[in-house]
Amino acid sequence: MSRFLITGAKIADPASDREYEADLRIADGLIAEIGDGLAAGEGEEEIEAKGRILCPALVDLRATACEPGPGAPERLDTTARAAAAGGIGTLVLAPESGHGLARPEDIELVEARALTLPVRVHAGGLAAHDGEMAEIGLMLRAGALYVGDGGRPIADSRLVRRILSYAGGFEAWVSLRPEDAHLAAGTVAHESDMSVRMGLATRPGVSERLAAERDAGLVELTGGRLILDRVTTAEGLIALRAAKRRGLEIAATAPVTHLMFNEIDAGNFDARYRLEPPLRSQEDREALIEAVREGLIDAVVSDHVPVSRVDKANPFADALPGSSNLEALLPALVSLVEEGRLSLLQALRPVTSGPADLLGLPQGRIEEGAPADLLILDPAAPVVHGRTGTVSQGSSAFSGRRLFGKVLMSFVEGAIILQPET
Amino acid sequence: MGRASFAYDFPHRNLLSAGSLNPLDVQMLFERAGEHFERNREPNKKLDALKGLTQINLFFEPSTRTLASFELAGKRLGADVVNFSAGNASTKKGESLADTAETLAAMNPDLLVVRHQSAGAAAFFADVTGISTINAGDGAHEHPSQALLDVFTLSRHWGEIGGRRIAIVGDIAHSRVARSNVSLMNLLNAEVRLCGPATLLPPDADRWGATVFHDLDAALEDCDAVMTLRLQRERMSGGLIPSEREYAALYGLTHKRLEAAKPDCLVMHPGPMNRGVEIHPALADDPDRSVILEQVESGVAIRMAILEMVASRAPNMRYEDDR
Repeated sequence: MSRFLITGAKIADPASDREYEADLRIADGLIAEIGDGLAAGEGEEEIEAKGRILCPALVDLRATACEPGPGAPERLDTTARAAAAGGIGTLVLAPESGHGLARPEDIELVEARALTLPVRVHAGGLAAHDGEMAEIGLMLRAGALYVGDGGRPIADSRLVRRILSYAGGFEAWVSLRPEDAHLAAGTVAHESDMSVRMGLATRPGVSERLAAERDAGLVELTGGRLILDRVTTAEGLIALRAAKRRGLEIAATAPVTHLMFNEIDAGNFDARYRLEPPLRSQEDREALIEAVREGLIDAVVSDHVPVSRVDKANPFADALPGSSNLEALLPALVSLVEEGRLSLLQALRPVTSGPADLLGLPQGRIEEGAPADLLILDPAAPVVHGRTGTVSQGSSAFSGRRLFGKVLMSFVEGAIILQPET
Repeated sequence: MGRASFAYDFPHRNLLSAGSLNPLDVQMLFERAGEHFERNREPNKKLDALKGLTQINLFFEPSTRTLASFELAGKRLGADVVNFSAGNASTKKGESLADTAETLAAMNPDLLVVRHQSAGAAAFFADVTGISTINAGDGAHEHPSQALLDVFTLSRHWGEIGGRRIAIVGDIAHSRVARSNVSLMNLLNAEVRLCGPATLLPPDADRWGATVFHDLDAALEDCDAVMTLRLQRERMSGGLIPSEREYAALYGLTHKRLEAAKPDCLVMHPGPMNRGVEIHPALADDPDRSVILEQVESGVAIRMAILEMVASRAPNMRYEDDR
C-alpha cells in the first residue's frame, strides 16, 4: 500500500475545532503521524502542499443514484465518480435510490457494488414499504446506515410511531422528511407572494414545522432516534431547536441547494431549480445558514438527484424535481466561507465530522489512527460550475454559477482517487 | 387592405403576461380592437393583415370559447390557422414538451397560441421555439388576452377605467383570469377588490395591489363593475368550501346583492358559467347589467389586435415594403 507524506499544509479539522500547520503521514490507509518537520521515509512519496488546506474528505449523507433498478440517467459508478470529483470520500445513498432500497438484498447489492467504486458507498434503507414496516433489522444487518422514509413523508402517525419504536430497538436512526403529507400533496413551490402570483401549487413553510413537531412528539413517546431529513425553512428550524432543547435524540440535515439559492432563482419558471423540497424564501435561507453556523444542523447534504435534461425539458411544474449536486457541494460551502458567511471549520463540520459522528463512522476527522480520507484544497480558486464539464450528466442548479474552492487531490483509505491535471 | 402599419412600434414579440404591457401598448391594442369590433359587426369581416402567415393554436387543455375566438381572429385576418388539440398526447408517449415544441417549430409557423395546464408553459414554448407566442392560459398563472378583453369591454362603456372600482369574486387562488386582470387593472389605475372565502384566496393577495374581502356585500359597496369567476366543481371535493349551496348563498351574485354596488354596476363573467352557483341566471341574462356576451364579442376583436401587433414583431414577419 502506498505511503505519503504531505508537508506544509494548513490542516483544517472540524472534529478538533482546530486549524494549524503541520505535516501528515499516510500509511496502511490510515493517518499514521501528524507533526512538524516530518521527514519522508523510504518508499514514501512526499507531497508539497504549502499554502493549501488539508481537510477530511467529505461525508455526504444523501445522494440518489439510479441503481439498483433501471439505470437512467446515472448508474452508481457514475455517481461514485462524481462524488470523487467533488471531494467526497464517503457517500450514503438515500433509501429511494434506484427502485427503492426496501429489502436487505438491495443493501447487500449496494455494499457489493461499493467494493469496486472509488469512494466509500453505503446506503440507507426504506423504513416502510406499501404502508407496512420494511425489514428494518435485516437491512441494518446488511449494512444500512439508517432507515428512513426516502423523502416520501408518511402521513400515518401510527406507522411512524412503530418505525421509531422498532428501529430504536436497534439504536438505529430513522430519517424522516419533515413535511405534512397533506399540505404538501400536489405542490411544486414554496408558498409565498411570488409563487402564488406565478400560479404554482404551493406549500407553506409551516408544513415542515408541523411534521417536525409531530415526529419530535413521537420520539418522546418511543425513545427513538430521529434525523429530520433536509430542513429548509425557518419554521422547521423552530421545531428542531425546541426538540433539541428538550434533550431528544434528534439530528437534522440541510440540503446545500437551500443554503445557496432561494425561490427567486426559480422565479422565471426555470426547471433547473425545481427541487424537492422546493427553494424557499431568502429569510429561510438566512436562517438555514445561521443554523449551520451555530451547529444546529448536523449535516449538510448534497441531495444529489440526477435528472436527465429530457425530464427537465418541460414547464416548471411538470419537470422532474432534482439537481446533480455532488460536484458542487464543497465549492458551494467554500463560497459561503469566501463570502464571510461561515468560517472554514463551520463550513466543513457538517460535511465531515458532523455526519461521521452522527452515524458513528471513524472517518471525517484528522487524527492519528483515523482512516486517511483526505483532501488537499485551494479554497480561493474560483470555479464556474460545469464550464469544464462534470462527471454527472444530470441537470444541475449550479450550472454556470461562479463558486470558490478547487480540490487539488483527494485520498480515500490512503489511496489517491483524484489528482486533477493542473 | 394589406398589412397594418402602426403609428406606435409595439415592442413585444410575445404576449405572455398582462404585467409585461405598458399603458401605451394597451391603448394601441384597444384602438385597433375598437376598429375590429365595429368591422366584425359588418357583413364583410375579412382582412388580409396576416395573409401568408401560419398560426398554430396549440391547446393542451380543453377550451371552447378561447380556441374559437383565436381561430376566428386569425382567420378574419387572413392567416392560415391550424388547431392542435394536443391533450398532452405527445408527452404521454414519453416526449418532453421541448421535443413537442421543436417538432412544431420545424413546421415553420409564424405564431403560436398556447394553452397549457402548467404555469410558465407559454413562456417555455416561446423560449424553446423562438416563435412569437401568445399565452392563451397557462395553469393558474396568466390569461392576458382574457384580461385585455375584459378591460376593453369596460373601457367601451366608460372610456377610461382609471379611478373605477372593480370587484373580482370567487376562486381567486386558482384563477389565471384574476391574476391577469389584477395586473392590467392596476396598470390602468383602477381600484381592484378581491372577494371570496379564505380557502379560495391566495395568501398575501392583499399585496397584489388589491383589497381583500371575504364578505361579498362589503366588497360590492360602490363598485362600478363586478366580475364573478367560475367555481370549478372539483374544488368542492378538495374541501375548499363546504358545499355548492353554501357558496351560492354567500358568494353567488344576485340582483339583490348588487344593490350595494353603484346603480349602473356592470356584471362580468369570463365563462363558462355555473348558473345558479356563482351567478343567478336572471342577472346573467339581464341586458341592463350583464356584459357577458359583449365580453365574448370583444374577445374576437381584442385577439385580432393582439395577433396583428405580435405578428408585426414576429421574427418571420416580412413586411410588404420589404419585398
